[in-house]
Amino acid sequence: MALGIKIKVNGEEHELLVEPRDTLAEVLRERLQLKGLKNSCDVGVCGACTVILNGDPASSCLVLAADADGTEITTVEGLSEDRRLSPLQVAFVEKGAVQCGYCTPGMLMMALALLQERPNPTVDEVRSYMSGNLCRCTGYKKIWEAILSAPSTAPKTREQIFPAGAKEEGIKRADRTGLFTIKQD
Amino acid sequence: MAKFSVVGAPLPRPDSLGKVSGETEFLSDIELAGMLHGKILRSPFPHARILKIDTSKAARLKGVKAIITAQDTPKIKFSFIDYLADKYALNDDKVRYIGDEVAAVAAVDLPTAEEAIDLIDVEYEELPAVYDPEEAMAEGAVKVHDKERNISWQMQRRFGDPERGFVESDYIFEDKYVTSRQCHCCMEPRGCIAYYDRTGALTLWVNSQTPHTLRQEAAKILDIPASKVRVINPPIGGGFGARIVVDMKNPIAAIISRKTGRPVKIVNTRKEEFEVSKTRYAYSVYVKTGVKKDGTILARQLRTIVDNGAYNDKAPATLSFSGSMFTMLYRVPNILYNAYVVYTNKQPGTGFRGFGNPQVTFAAETQLDEIAKKLAIDPVEIRLKNCVRQGDISITGAHFSKCGLTDCIERATEASGWRTKKGKMGPNRGIGAAVMIHTGGGNRFYGYNSSSAFIKVSEDAVITLVTPAVDTGQGAETVVAQIAAEELGVRLADIRVIARDTELTPYDLGAWGSRTTWVSGNAVLNAARAMKEQIFGVVAEALEASPKDLTARDGRIFVAGSPDKYLGFEDAVHYAYKKRGMPLSASGTFHDEPASSSKDWDTQTPNFASACQVAEVEVDPETGKVRVLNLTAAHDAGRTINPLLAEGQIEGGFAQGIGYALTEGLIIENGRTLNPSFIDYKIPGFPEVPDSKTILLETDNPGGPYGAIGIGEPALVPTAAAIANAIYDSVGVRIKSLPMTSEKIYAAMKGRSL
Repeated sequence: MALGIKIKVNGEEHELLVEPRDTLAEVLRERLQLKGLKNSCDVGVCGACTVILNGDPASSCLVLAADADGTEITTVEGLSEDRRLSPLQVAFVEKGAVQCGYCTPGMLMMALALLQERPNPTVDEVRSYMSGNLCRCTGYKKIWEAILSAPSTAPKTREQIFPAGAKEEGIKRADRTGLFTIKQD
Repeated sequence: MAKFSVVGAPLPRPDSLGKVSGETEFLSDIELAGMLHGKILRSPFPHARILKIDTSKAARLKGVKAIITAQDTPKIKFSFIDYLADKYALNDDKVRYIGDEVAAVAAVDLPTAEEAIDLIDVEYEELPAVYDPEEAMAEGAVKVHDKERNISWQMQRRFGDPERGFVESDYIFEDKYVTSRQCHCCMEPRGCIAYYDRTGALTLWVNSQTPHTLRQEAAKILDIPASKVRVINPPIGGGFGARIVVDMKNPIAAIISRKTGRPVKIVNTRKEEFEVSKTRYAYSVYVKTGVKKDGTILARQLRTIVDNGAYNDKAPATLSFSGSMFTMLYRVPNILYNAYVVYTNKQPGTGFRGFGNPQVTFAAETQLDEIAKKLAIDPVEIRLKNCVRQGDISITGAHFSKCGLTDCIERATEASGWRTKKGKMGPNRGIGAAVMIHTGGGNRFYGYNSSSAFIKVSEDAVITLVTPAVDTGQGAETVVAQIAAEELGVRLADIRVIARDTELTPYDLGAWGSRTTWVSGNAVLNAARAMKEQIFGVVAEALEASPKDLTARDGRIFVAGSPDKYLGFEDAVHYAYKKRGMPLSASGTFHDEPASSSKDWDTQTPNFASACQVAEVEVDPETGKVRVLNLTAAHDAGRTINPLLAEGQIEGGFAQGIGYALTEGLIIENGRTLNPSFIDYKIPGFPEVPDSKTILLETDNPGGPYGAIGIGEPALVPTAAAIANAIYDSVGVRIKSLPMTSEKIYAAMKGRSL
C-alpha cells in the first residue's frame, strides 16, 4: 500500500509515493538518486548513512520514509554550492581525511552537525561526538584534524584546490616559422 | 630548492573531490538498464549432505526471473592454487560451512529476491562437524574433504642445526599463542554486477583488488575463455585483502545473467560480510626459542597450525610468508619451521593486510619481551643485538641490501620517550615496543611481479596515464600520478589517470603485498621517462640545445643552469603536434626478472620494509579494559611519495592493529558466528584510536621509483605485539591469545585464566 510523502531535500521539494517498509536511505538513494550516503551496516551503527533531518543528524537507514513526511533533509550533495566545495569538504580533501571515501559522506554530515552545535570543538569533543561514525581506512586522525581546521578554511572551487598546470605565456626565443608569437616576459 | 617538486609533497588526492561531493560511483551505486537483483541461498549447517532442492515455490513468485542450482553451473572445482581446487560455485552434494552456496535467485528487486530465497526448500542430512584445527588434525576426526588428518597443505623449512642450537642454549622458552579470525570490515561490502551480452562476452563489475587475476579465475569457473571476460573495478571502499580472490558471487551472477540476458547485481549484506565471508587466518603458533644468557638468540622453532576453514584460498602463501619473515627478522642461525593448513567446518580464510606476518610477529615479539625480562636485558637492547641489519645476508640467502630497521628502532624509541617511560609511567600504565620486517614490493611466488603503463599527451597538452594500479582507497592512483608528474616536470593535477578496466590496462597482479608503489610506480616511471625523452627531443630542437642538458620542472622544460631559456610544457606539446607533426605517446614496463625463477625465501621479495612501533596503554584495574594512550611508529618508506598518503596508511594500520589486539575476532560456536554485526564485533572508532606520531624514514632504495618502497601492510604488523608488551609493562599480565579482551586481562589480573 503506497503512502504519499512530501520531503524537502537540499532545498528542493519532492512528492513521492513510498511503501511502508521503505527506509529514508533507500528513498534518497534510489528514488532521488542521491547516492552519496551509503548503506554499510544495515543496522544504523556505522554512520555511513548519516543525513541531517530537521537540523539533527540521523541514520537514514533507521528512518522510515513515511516517518520523514514533512521534514527538511540535507545530504552530502547539498553541501557544495555553485561548484564550490564547502569549508568542511575542502578541509577533508586538503588534510588527507579521505581514503576509500565510503564513510566520507556520513562523516561530513555528522561533522557538519557537530560544528553547527559547537563551532570550535576540542579534539576530545570531536572524538566523542563522531564516535558513531566508523572508518576502516584512515585511523581517524586526519578526519579529526580536518574537522578542527574546517572553521578556518574557506570554500573553494576545484581549480582553487588543484590549480591548473602552468600556462606558459611565451617562448624565450624567436621562432623561425612564425608559428608562435614572441611575447615579452 | 627542494630536490623534488611533486614527489614528497603532501598533496591532496584528486579522487577525493568526488568522494566528498558524493558523486563517486561505487559498485552498489551503479544501476544498469534491466538490472536484476540477486541473492544467494546459503547452507544453515556447518556440515551436511544435500538430499533435495525444490525451487518450485520460489519460481512461482512474481518478479523472480531466474533460479539456479549446481546443475546450471559447469561444476568446476576451484581454488586460487590449481592443484588445491576444492570448491564449487554452487553445491548440490555437500555443504561444508554455514554460508556455503546452494542456490541463487535473481528478481526485479531485492525484497522479491529475499522472499524467493525463503521459498526454496532444501532437505539436508546433517553431518558431524569439526571446528578446532588441532582437533581436526587428530586421528579419527571428522573429514571436511578427503584429506588425511584434514591437512590441506603443509611445509617445512630447516636452516642450520636447530637441535644443536637448542642444546647450546642457556635458556629455552616454549610458548603457545593463538590469534583470531579478524574480519576485514571494509566499509563497502563485497559485491558484483555481471552482464553476459548477446554476443557472449561477459563484463564483471567487481570491487576487486585483483581485476586481471579475477578475469582468469571467473573464466576458469565458468569454463569460458578468459578472452571473453572483461573486469571493470569501480572505486573500491577498502580492500585489505578482502577482495584478492574470486568470490563465488561473481560466477553465480554471470550464470544468472547468461540465463536471463540481463545484468545481475549481487552484494553482500553486512551480516554476510561477517558470517560467511573469508577472514584473516587464525593461527595457533608454538614458538620455541633458545638463547644464551647474554641475549643472543641461537635457535628458533616455529610450529604453526592454520585454521583453513572449509575451502582453500591463500593459506599456503600466507604460511610461506609468515615463515620467511619470522626466519629473517633476527640473525638466528638455526631455524625449524613447520606449518600446517587444516580444514575445519567454518568460513574460509584469505589474505588480510600483513598476510601472516601480524600473527607470527605477535607470537615472536611478545615472547622476546618475556625472554628479555627473564634475562634482565632491556627489550630494545635484545632486539638491537639480534636484529637484521643493512648488508646482512640471511640464512635464507636473502640479501638485505637496504634495511632501515635499526634506525627505525632508534627513532621510535627516542620519539616515544621509551627510555624515560619504561616501568615508570605510573600505576596501571605501561609502554611496549615491537619490531618487524615485511615486503615493500610484493612477492615473487606467483612468478610475475611486473607491470606496464602507457602515457599519452593530447594536442592540448592533457597528460593521460593508463595504469593497472588498483586504488582500493589507499591512494594508488595518486601515487603513480605523482611519480609521472615529477618525471615530466608538471603538477599532480595535470595527470589524468585511467585505470580499472582490464580491457584498457596491461596485465598486473593487483593491489596486495604492499607492491603497488614499487611495481606499478616503476612501470609508470619508465613510461614517464619514455615520454620525457620525446618531449625533450622536441624542446631541444626548439631551443637549439642538447636533450641531455634539459630539465623539466614546474611546467617548464629548460636548459639546466639557464632557467630563462625554456619552453613551457604546453608550448612544447604544441610544437610537437603543430610544427613537427609528431604524436606523443609512450609506454613503460617494469620487468621483475627474478620473479620467474624465484623458488624460495632467498629471493621471494624484491626489497624489505621495516618498522618499530611503540604503544602506551592504561589498563583499568576494575575491568581489565585497555585504553591505548599513544602510538609511535618509525617506518622505513624508502622515499615518501606523499606524506599524507603514507601517514594515512600507518594511522589506518594503527586502528586495525588496535582492533586486532584488543577487540576484534569472530566468535564461532559449533560453526555459527555469534557476532556478525558491528554491534558485537567491535572495530575501533574515534574514541579508541589515540593521537599518534608517525616517522617516515627515507633510506632511498635504488630499486624503487625515486627510492620508494611499499608501506600499506607494515602499518599493523607489530601493533598487537607492542600493545601486548605495554599491557605487561602496565599490570604485569601476559595474554597469549588475540584479542586481548578486557575479560581475559581482568581474569589474568585476578590470577585466574579464562
